[in-house]
Amino acid sequence: MTPVPTHQAAAAQAPDPAVTASPPPAAPGGVPVPAASPAAPPAPPPRTGRLSSRLQSVPGRVLVITTAAVVALALLFGALSSSFQSVRDGLDVIGHDAGPQVVATADLYFALSDMDTQVANVLLIGDEHGLGKGRQRALDVYEQRRSDAGRAVLQASALAGADPAERRTVQAVLDGLGRYERLAARAMLLDEQAGHRAGPPPQRVLEVYRQATDLMRLELLPMAYNLTLESGTVVRRAHEEQSSDVRTGQVLVAGTGLLALGGLLWLQVFLARRFRRVFNPALVVATVIAGMYTLTGFTVLGNETGILLEAKRDGFDSVLTLARARAVGNSMHGDQSRYLLDPERADTYEQTYLDKSQAVLFAPSGNLGAYYKAVAAGADDYPGRQPFLGLIGQESARSGLPGHEAAVIEVLRRYEEFQRADRTMRGLGPRQAVELRVDTLEQRFGNYDAALVELAGLHRTAFDRAVRSGEEQVEELWFLLPLAVVSTAVLIVAGVWPRLSEYR
Amino acid sequence: MRPVTRAALAVAAGAALLAAPACGTAGPPSILDRETLVVGVKPDQPGLGMRIGEDRYEGFDVDIATEVARRLGIEDVRFVTVLSSNRQQFIQNGQVDMVVATYSITPVNRSKITFAGPYYVAHQDTLVRASDRDIKNVRDLKGRKLCQAAGSNSWRRVKEERQIAVELVPAASYGECLTKLREGAVDAVSTDDLILAGFSAKAGSALRIVNAPFTDERLGIGMRKGDLDGCEAVNRALTAMYQDGTAEKLLKKWFAASGLALTFTVPQFEGCA
Repeated sequence: MTPVPTHQAAAAQAPDPAVTASPPPAAPGGVPVPAASPAAPPAPPPRTGRLSSRLQSVPGRVLVITTAAVVALALLFGALSSSFQSVRDGLDVIGHDAGPQVVATADLYFALSDMDTQVANVLLIGDEHGLGKGRQRALDVYEQRRSDAGRAVLQASALAGADPAERRTVQAVLDGLGRYERLAARAMLLDEQAGHRAGPPPQRVLEVYRQATDLMRLELLPMAYNLTLESGTVVRRAHEEQSSDVRTGQVLVAGTGLLALGGLLWLQVFLARRFRRVFNPALVVATVIAGMYTLTGFTVLGNETGILLEAKRDGFDSVLTLARARAVGNSMHGDQSRYLLDPERADTYEQTYLDKSQAVLFAPSGNLGAYYKAVAAGADDYPGRQPFLGLIGQESARSGLPGHEAAVIEVLRRYEEFQRADRTMRGLGPRQAVELRVDTLEQRFGNYDAALVELAGLHRTAFDRAVRSGEEQVEELWFLLPLAVVSTAVLIVAGVWPRLSEYR
Repeated sequence: MRPVTRAALAVAAGAALLAAPACGTAGPPSILDRETLVVGVKPDQPGLGMRIGEDRYEGFDVDIATEVARRLGIEDVRFVTVLSSNRQQFIQNGQVDMVVATYSITPVNRSKITFAGPYYVAHQDTLVRASDRDIKNVRDLKGRKLCQAAGSNSWRRVKEERQIAVELVPAASYGECLTKLREGAVDAVSTDDLILAGFSAKAGSALRIVNAPFTDERLGIGMRKGDLDGCEAVNRALTAMYQDGTAEKLLKKWFAASGLALTFTVPQFEGCA
């Protein structure tokens, strides 16, 4: 440690031109004088009362430079903390707000859609209670989905927060659900009373079921689906805003960091010249801390833009797309039951089945027959050159995540098996078709759906991991930030105070 | 010593300047940035999009576009004619900002332009001469002459998806199809029930809707590919229009008289992509 210089010691020595580059002191009498203005009165000046001359005195200039350095440091720490806040907000929206919202609303869609499918199955089975997995099982699943739907509505409502449009939508779903349950119960009661063989029920049962399914498919399911989409909108906007904030923050951190380093360096050089000290250790440490924070802050913010993008693109977007694929798929599976249940509307249900299949996995084809072939060919080609369109097509085109390709191959294989079973079903007579629907087809769909859930789980994990790692990196720096603020402040005071006190 | 600060300031300012362009959002211009919104509508579909004078159009599509624009905060809307055959191209080369012209959302269309909505899910039905009592549903079209309007996919739903052996007679537009139907050059016109409802109302009792819907047609609002901000804003506007009853009012205004079963709750959106 260099000995603390006293004013007297400095005054006794002649200024060393090798150390100070400034012009020789105007007062050879021995006191250091401001270098910038040779015309300044000899220092230490008596109280002149004039601000400018006070600022031009040595302590005045030390104070000015110190203030500049402190302001720059404050800006640096301000930029750091506001950028970290943006990152935290961004991760919060993606990780803890919209992410769970997608899951809750997708669960809602799934539960609602499956309720209607199970009612159709109950009506299809009619009196032949043991057919396939049986009437009782369909009823049990219906009850299960009903309670799932109730729970999902509550959750969606909690997550909708203060958004008035979303709250209205959730309320409308809740109201509609009550009406649906009454219609479904009535259709099932009428069906039981009618006592018919497996296949289409009598007209009066069908009429009530049509009201129920129209309510479900035309009103409730669209609302649930739109809620899922809305979370995607929220995330996309938050992501754009926050990543641009973080990029701006990165530039600000670099700029203010350079400014702070410049200020500290200036102070260091000034003190070295004035007081003939090569280093002021306290200031050196403060400079190192500021430098480290600038560099780390800059790098971490750079990483965070990457993490935010990864969490959104490889995690959230995939989870959302697969949730939609699952929703559309379930409703497509329901159309198979409705196709068998309602001969008058069979054409419509067949077309909506094809439409939904195309939305899930698009393969150029004008009709179901051509679609089956195109799916089989396309599934065999994957991962070939031609990417599919449609929701799963979109996902199959992604890459990078380990295990992704294998999971996609499994989904495509199961999907093709499911479509093959659909083809068989449409070629059968009414009773065998119903039998196939509530047994083999049910199983095939279950397998396909499970493969889809597996693939979504892969992305869900990637998503959670990205969010967590992003949060950890920021938390560390966030935690140390106050420490850095306090320690640099203390160090600057420790570095400057002894010099100033020489002038008292 | 001052140069040190000056240098630091210069570096900081330089960095900020360099970063400034990077902060702006990239991507295609959005409909949200427009002061005047140019909307493509059909000129010849009564009830949906009908040209009634110089730059003046009326119909459900026109009302939907006006209402959406109002909710996006765009006061000035200009309507221009688009046809099924050129609407995609008009969007792609920027001749129109938005298309509301009974434009079906299909996976192929979706790969070329961005669709908001659907603002309504229509159903394909069949229009025949009132005197023709033999056609009760789409399957009865076997061996009959079906009009094929240029740029529209509706005929595929009959001939390709249903694989019903119809004889296709090409026409430039649905307006021309109607003339051909009245003159007996075709036996049926098969397309969205909203389109048919408009035409049959106009043609009086000479024509009849079979009233056997057999498809779901998701009518979307087309805009330039990648305008996600615009698409999401339009979807929010549509949600609000259904929630506050505006959509119901407009549907009733244009189609209540036709006796069609209308849906007054928000359709399932396709998602912006």
